[in-house]
Amino acid sequence: MKVCISCGMPMNSPEDFPLGDVSKDYCIHCARPDGSMQSFDEKLQGTTEFIIRTQGFDAKVARESARAMLSRQPAWKSVSQ
Amino acid sequence: MKRSIRQIQKDETREKLLSAAHIVFGQKGIMAARMSDIAEAAGVSHGTVFVHFKTQETLVAAVIDDFGIRMGQRTHDMARNSGSLRDVLKAHLEGIREDEAFYTQLVIETRSLPPIARETMISIQSAVSFHINQAAQREMDAGVIKPMSMALLFNTWIGLVHYYLTNRDLFSPEKSVIETCGSMLIDHFMHMISSAN
Repeated sequence: MKVCISCGMPMNSPEDFPLGDVSKDYCIHCARPDGSMQSFDEKLQGTTEFIIRTQGFDAKVARESARAMLSRQPAWKSVSQ
Repeated sequence: MKRSIRQIQKDETREKLLSAAHIVFGQKGIMAARMSDIAEAAGVSHGTVFVHFKTQETLVAAVIDDFGIRMGQRTHDMARNSGSLRDVLKAHLEGIREDEAFYTQLVIETRSLPPIARETMISIQSAVSFHINQAAQREMDAGVIKPMSMALLFNTWIGLVHYYLTNRDLFSPEKSVIETCGSMLIDHFMHMISSAN
């Protein structure tokens, strides 16, 4: 089983992959509509908005939380420092 | 690359320590547990713990990280098998039930633990809220539940669950509070948000 290198989500079946392409190392939620992988800034923005919408955090705290979460993922260990 | 017997034994001891620490933390508290308690539970010498984890903080971080990965997988699996919001809530409680003692300690102690504890909790709640949100949105669109803020819907649910977990001694002193009160909490929550009211 693969784990998304960008967000850590387990990828068990084709619908977890962008455009159903199981050769990809990132999940459907970390892909752009054309199937390419979102940049760190795009993912950081999306995760921040998601945390605010679903958990109601303060905007600055949500951004810091999103950064901390992403910084532990293989794709972003070096870029998020 | 093939691992040497020595490396295999080392990895096994590490796994044994992580698993023992997980249990001891759940029983005694994460900050209150001593390295000697964990060594005893794992059946290794006190010194062996420090060979694998230089400080208690490193061990705590490793156990929490391990737990976060497991909960992530469990949350993902639960979504795959859940259709309605009620199903998602039920699966959420079942996921907690599997690690109830440790999860409860994590909820109680998060703010006094290393930052990884807070980050792991936020990460777990983000995954859970994602699936609750998806099911809730479908039921709001269908008029089954009242329209409301997704954040408040999630926070009301998690607040209720955490209140019962952290006060287990009041609600279910002899056994799992999820086992005793879980169905009641789901029924109450669904009743509160139902459009039929």
